[in-house]
Parts: sequence; structure tokens; C-alpha cells
Amino acid sequence: MLNIIIVILMLLGLFFFFGTSVGLIHFPDFYSRMHAAGKGDTLSTALILTGLALYHLQDFSLATLLVSLKIMSIVLYIFIASPTATHAIMDAGFESGVKHWSKADQPDKNKGEVK
Amino acid sequence: MKPLALLFTLSVGVLLLAASLDLPDWSDPASPASSHVSPYYIQESLNQTSVPNLVSSVLADYRSYDTMFETVVIFCAGITVLTILRRTFRSKDKYILPRPEREDADIILQSAVRLLVPVMQVFALYVIAHGHHSPGGGFQGGVILGASFILLSIAYDLKTVLKRFKENSILFLSAVGVLIYAGIGIICLFLGRNFLAYGAWAKLLGITEQEAHSHGMLGVEIGVAITVMVIMFSLYADLSSSGDLDEGL
Amino acid sequence: MNWDASSLWQFNVLLLIMLFILAIAAISIKDLVASAVIFGAYSFIMCLLWTAMLAVDVAFTEAAVGAGVSTVLVLGTALHIKRKSKD
Repeated sequence: MLNIIIVILMLLGLFFFFGTSVGLIHFPDFYSRMHAAGKGDTLSTALILTGLALYHLQDFSLATLLVSLKIMSIVLYIFIASPTATHAIMDAGFESGVKHWSKADQPDKNKGEVK
Repeated sequence: MKPLALLFTLSVGVLLLAASLDLPDWSDPASPASSHVSPYYIQESLNQTSVPNLVSSVLADYRSYDTMFETVVIFCAGITVLTILRRTFRSKDKYILPRPEREDADIILQSAVRLLVPVMQVFALYVIAHGHHSPGGGFQGGVILGASFILLSIAYDLKTVLKRFKENSILFLSAVGVLIYAGIGIICLFLGRNFLAYGAWAKLLGITEQEAHSHGMLGVEIGVAITVMVIMFSLYADLSSSGDLDEGL
Repeated sequence: MNWDASSLWQFNVLLLIMLFILAIAAISIKDLVASAVIFGAYSFIMCLLWTAMLAVDVAFTEAAVGAGVSTVLVLGTALHIKRKSKD
């Protein structure tokens, strides 16, 4: 039973990591890339680490409980630190005047002519 | 010039790769590195020092003299950067334009840092105090402590941190760390043992020799941590403000 | 709990390839700030390699000093000099 939960958590984490990577490559500008990186990275890391903590709890004793608590405190730390770092990078980009992507700026691909 | 440099680099790389074939196997017990003094440490260190982490006991007890001068090297590096970069007069030829003043402080960053910095500092103290039983020790803990101050001065301002952590106390503490290390060794000399032979502390503290070794290592690592913390923060403060100590990154 | 360094050799090879790529990138990129950040990533991969070699103390030092503080110090210095490297 516990194994199934662990596998589901890990697979969800890997799925969100994959989504983060795809978004980081595929999105058009700085802001949307950071949006993908910040959210997906935090969630997937939290999911995978929660799965690891549960995996350690399989043979329950005080030592494994301590290890699991340490892993969960890492999750808490990442949950605060990673979105803050994303916000700081976004803010620095906004302050230094990075332009955001908009459809109006793009050349129209269907007609093949540049505005 | 560039193709010549590439050729030189490649030939050195090929030579090193060829030489690496002669290296002993991974974790080979018969290799020279693990057949000379290592078995002695592995067998005896727990009996002699009552410290389970072998790396800590070799670093801070058997090779204590080396570690003391590593601390002195860090101290000298900090003092050198301070001497070269620190300018007490205001200069006009700044290499970097001052950061544009913002009316509103970044409240998300500041409150997150206010949450995170105590956790970092408690973890650093854990790393220092628990270095005998798990990976860690004075250097790592000191660097994490210094990094917490650096984080504060990035999120707030260099001035705000320096108001609480004065430059005078930076200089004072950097010397205090080295003094703690050397002082523990000197007291061993006065008690009739060799320099940094922590066993001499046993009579003074009323404990067994093994525990004295363990406690001596703890004291030494506290000294290392103080010096490293202060020097890391002072390096950041001097490098990021080009010696004026008025603004950070 | 009993895995030695050879049980995950594919992982080590992957880390070595990433280390190689990051090392080439760190010296060939023109922007010094980007180079500093890539050097931090290089240090982190190096930290993972030390962990794979079961040298956890060294890995801890590498993570704290190499990937943490020295990146900040190099960044702080790179912002104060000319950002573009000549070659």
C-alpha cells in the first residue's frame, strides 16, 4: 500500500519536472520561463522528497523517523526558498527592463510577412 | 596563439588521461594511499578519540597542526583583501553605478529571508557541534554562518547588516577564532604535553582522555567556525562594495 | 543502504558528461556574470560527484564553499569590473 503511494508521488514529481523542462525550453520569454521554472520545480521537488521520506519510513523506527523528519524539513525550506528566489529573479528582470513577449510583436507566420 | 594553447591543453589532457591508467583501483585496500597510515587511523581513532567520524578526527586531532595553519591562511586572506580593497575615504571614481533607489523595499524577499536566516544559522551550529558524528565541522558550519549574513545583506542592505555587525567586531572576531585554536594548543603545552595534544585537558576538565580529545576537537572547530564566518562576510562586504562598505550587490 | 561507487556507474558517467559541458561553457562564454553562475553549477555537479565517491565531508565543503559562497564572491567581483570578457 505504502509502496503504491510512494510510486505515485515519485511519478507525479517526475511528471512535473518534465513539464518544467519543457516549459523552460518552449516558452517564449523570460517571464513565462521563470513562471514554469519556479512553480514546477518547487512542486516536483516537494513531491519527490515526500516520496523519499515515506520510503524511509517503511521499516519504522526512531532512526528512520528522524531521517524522514529531516527530509520533510528540507521540503519546508525549499517550499519557502525556491519561490522567493524565483520572485527575486523576476523582480530583477523587471527592474532592468526586460520586455515581455506579446503576440502583436511577432511576425505573422501564416502569411509569411514581417510586420 | 589560440591554436597553440589548444594544442598544449589537449596534449596535457592526453598525458593526464594516459597517466590515470596507472592509478590504483577504486577503493583498493592494497594501494599505497590506504596501506601506509590509514589502517592505523581506521582501527585506533575511535578508541583514542571517541569520535565516530574519521574525517573529523584526522582533520582536527591527528592533523591538527595543518588545520590550524589552514585557519591562519583564511585569516591572512581576509586581512589581505581588507588591506587592498578597503577605502576609508569616499572616492568618486566608482566602477559601478549606484543601484537605483527604490521607494518600496521588496517585502516578499525580506520576510522570506527573515524566516530562513534563523533556520540557516541553527543548521550551521548543528553542523559545527555535530561534526564529530556526521559530516560537517568548523569550515562548513562557518561558511554557512557567513552565507546567512551574506543573504541578509543581499536582501536588505549592506549598511543594515553592518550596523549590527560592526567592522571592528569583524576584525576582532577573525583574530579571536585563530586565538581559540592556538590557545587550546598552548594550554596543552602548559599542562606538560605536546602542542595540540588534547589529552592534557583530561585533568583540567575531570574527564577521560578520549573525551578530552573529543571536547578539544569541538573547541578547535568553534575557533575555525568563528574565523571562517567572519572572513567570508568581510570578503563579501569588501568585494561587493569595492571597499566603500556603502552598498552591496 | 549498501551501494558502493560502482553500482550506479551510469549516473557517474552522466555527471561527468555534465561536468565536462559546464566546464567548457564556463570558460567559453563571454559574459562574466553568466560564467560565474555556470561555475556555481559546475561546483554543484562536482559536489554530487564527491557524494558518489562517498566522500561526504568533501562534498559538504564543496556545496557550502564552491557552490554557495564563492559564487556570490565571484558575482560580486564580476559586477564591479567590465562584464564582457575579451576572448
